[in-house]
Amino acid sequence: MVAGRSMRFPWLRAASAAVVVALSSTAGASPEDIFGFGPRSPGMGGTGIASSYGADAAYTNPALLSRVKRSYLTIGVQGATFDLHADGAGLPGRISVVAMKGIPVGVEVPIPFGGVLKDRIAAGMAFYTPSDVLLRAKILFPERAQFPLLADRSQSLAVRLGLGADIGHGIRVGAGFAVLANLVGTIDIAALPGGGVGAHVDDQIVATYSPTFGAAWDLPFDRAPDGSPRWRVGAVFRGTLDARFSVEVDASKLSTLKLPVFNIAGLAQYDPAEVGLEVAHERGPWVIAAGVTFKRWSDYPGVLEPTILCGDTACSALTPPHIAFSDTLAPRIGVERTFDLPRHAALRARAGALYEPTPLPSTLPSSQAYDAGSQMLVDVPTRFFDATRYVLTLGGGVDMGDIAPFTVDAWAQLHVLASSTVDTSTASNPSSASLSGRVLAFGMLVGVRF
Amino acid sequence: MRLLFFSSSLLVILLVPRASHANPLDAFGFGSRGAAMGGAVAADVRDFSANYYNPAGLALAHGFELSIGYVDVVHSLSMNGQDNNVDPVKGLVAGAVVPGRVFGAPFAIGVGLYIPDDRLTRVRALPQSQPRWELYDNRNQRLVFDVDAAISPLPWLQLGGGVTYMAATRALLDITGDVDAGTPTDSLLRHQVDADLKLVAYPQFGARVQLSKRAALGLVYRGQFSLDLNIAANVGAGARLGATGSGMDITRIVLAMTSDTVDMFLPQQVVLGSSFEPIDGLHANFDLTWVNWSAYVPPVTHLGVNLDLPPPPGGWAQYGIKPPTSPAPIVVLPIEMHDRFVPHLGLEWRAIARSAWQGFLRAGYEFDKSPIGQQSGVTNYVDRDRHAVSAGLGVRLIAPSSVLPGDVRFDTHAQLSVLPTSTTVKTDPQDPIGDYTAGGHIWNVGLTATVGF
Repeated sequence: MVAGRSMRFPWLRAASAAVVVALSSTAGASPEDIFGFGPRSPGMGGTGIASSYGADAAYTNPALLSRVKRSYLTIGVQGATFDLHADGAGLPGRISVVAMKGIPVGVEVPIPFGGVLKDRIAAGMAFYTPSDVLLRAKILFPERAQFPLLADRSQSLAVRLGLGADIGHGIRVGAGFAVLANLVGTIDIAALPGGGVGAHVDDQIVATYSPTFGAAWDLPFDRAPDGSPRWRVGAVFRGTLDARFSVEVDASKLSTLKLPVFNIAGLAQYDPAEVGLEVAHERGPWVIAAGVTFKRWSDYPGVLEPTILCGDTACSALTPPHIAFSDTLAPRIGVERTFDLPRHAALRARAGALYEPTPLPSTLPSSQAYDAGSQMLVDVPTRFFDATRYVLTLGGGVDMGDIAPFTVDAWAQLHVLASSTVDTSTASNPSSASLSGRVLAFGMLVGVRF
Repeated sequence: MRLLFFSSSLLVILLVPRASHANPLDAFGFGSRGAAMGGAVAADVRDFSANYYNPAGLALAHGFELSIGYVDVVHSLSMNGQDNNVDPVKGLVAGAVVPGRVFGAPFAIGVGLYIPDDRLTRVRALPQSQPRWELYDNRNQRLVFDVDAAISPLPWLQLGGGVTYMAATRALLDITGDVDAGTPTDSLLRHQVDADLKLVAYPQFGARVQLSKRAALGLVYRGQFSLDLNIAANVGAGARLGATGSGMDITRIVLAMTSDTVDMFLPQQVVLGSSFEPIDGLHANFDLTWVNWSAYVPPVTHLGVNLDLPPPPGGWAQYGIKPPTSPAPIVVLPIEMHDRFVPHLGLEWRAIARSAWQGFLRAGYEFDKSPIGQQSGVTNYVDRDRHAVSAGLGVRLIAPSSVLPGDVRFDTHAQLSVLPTSTTVKTDPQDPIGDYTAGGHIWNVGLTATVGF
């Protein structure tokens, strides 16, 4: 089920090793992967691997949790609207997508060890819950027009915990994990002796974990007059995070009519393994960060699973289409300017941009379906869509300093989907889809220091 | 104060002999200190277990605390002398308390977590006539995730509250294609899924009043909760015998199934707790929990099946198939449940007090009268009264190193629950299950380690 591991860099493969970008495509996955997490990072183009200093770091780079010196609890609201279009023969034009809305919560806590560990270790939690669902598993027939990597994947719970340590010499390390849930179960339906029907239902929610490891280094040159570092590099690895839906429906004992066991399964959520690198520069009131994230989409097995499992013997049951997703590189840049106010209060303005190429190929293989009219197998187009996104971000915040133990931050993002065409032809019917759209996202968070 | 203590004890003895348990924490406690003290800590808790016992207690925390532990519960429950192999309850216990001050008042947030070893939750529904230990069979197979905050606006008053999160499921499954009734695995079927794991959160609130240096009261409310599993499946498919292309469909199957299950029902509860320190180092606690069991919903699936399967030309007999008919719907009989009061008694004695370390002895008792009415009819929700006796040890190391300037605590507990064996007599002598005797015991052991800063 593993797709080919090709990489696409048709654009910018030139000199600067920092920003190598894949051309034709885009992708996103869980809410934090699409929009970022925290009061600060989403307004700075999703940067933070080398520049975070709060609960953002539980996602961006747990090593930077070690910069936390005070306990904070942050809570807010976050939302996004989707305006996604797929135009062409047999396509709906605008694709209906439920708006995303939810509550982000961040916690950052320095762990007050003494001795050699004093002021060196802190923990953080990044938590986001959609307001009405924890996880949406929308696994549709492949011929239905859909943006499976962008729209429904934002409707997911996110839980990330991390621990960061300052081990000296400007080096920080951290580790954490993310949690999602698989739903697995069985429904056995059988006729009862009295003429009724009975059911055994056994469904379980099983946790699935994904590790995160991070490191950061305060470079020893170009120090500020007070000795604080001006340059920092950061690196992070995030493991694959997925959530599977799998319910086996067995109605074969209803009668002597041989019904197969239905394997109703698919991948409801998927974040590929990622490696991110970033460099941040702090000079006076300015922070500038730039980096790139590698996403291993080529391991993505796809959304659908077969409805009938063959077991050990060969069978002619249908199998879902195999799509060769490509690995991607997503560059990002962010800037923050701080304006000091009396009594240690501060205003902060932020901006950023990122480029998110799609892992989806420009030509999609056809799928197979049974046509009740002809009572034959027929080819149908596969309409799993995605497009490269150009993302602009803005943000700002107020730290009330000694006046009150509160911070207020807000951010907004505009995602513009690059106009592109995807070939969805079948053997008998050439067709294509023209994709376009945009996503508007926002967030506002209030933090309390305690 | 002693008069108050003995009066309340008497009141409880008169009122109580009834009670029961709900989720893994209700049944077996949270953390070794609380479990060893019979759960009687609503007015005497300040560590991570306050997330469950009384969130207001979080505001009493002296410093940042991290706790981790493990609990293992083994059931030996039997019917007619045969062990029913009720699944064990075992998993990780963890929590944190993060104290601070907001506008000068002590404030804290806390997280409490119980993660079962094998799964986060399991929804299991059996036919109502199938005997099962209703309160132990599956209800305790669940994650518990509490998030709370607390504040102490006055030196003698602490207030706290929070929510516990769970996930319910709603799913719509569509299956289309062609069924090969000769070789089912050659069926040409596809499916699509529209499923949501929906957030379910239920609240808990707590208050604690320090009456004097040696006495405190606690009041806790825990909200009602249940986990829904709603699955609808639609099958619309042709039916044939043999490979596609070798013959036409003999008929068409249209099957619509709905499966609605309510599981893990947790009734709302109110806890009144008291704690007394008659002499230095000795805590005598008594809690009384009211459990609204009468609202209970049994975990029996409401199954609806509509089957449209027209006979093929020439009838079914030529294919040797006896077709299914649309089955009669299940009538789920109501369950008779009674509200209960659960008494909890707990003792903690600081037996050793040195400058570098302290040692604690703990003991507890709780009595849960079964809330389930007589099972003399068709249903077989098996339960028995439960007497739970517990004991525990605790060690507190004070400022064990320069890296750990606070303390390190190790607490352990063992609890034996005895469910006296008795016989359930069926009204109908032809009942397929018949009369049965049921009873047994449950061992609950665990260890918790806490680092306080």
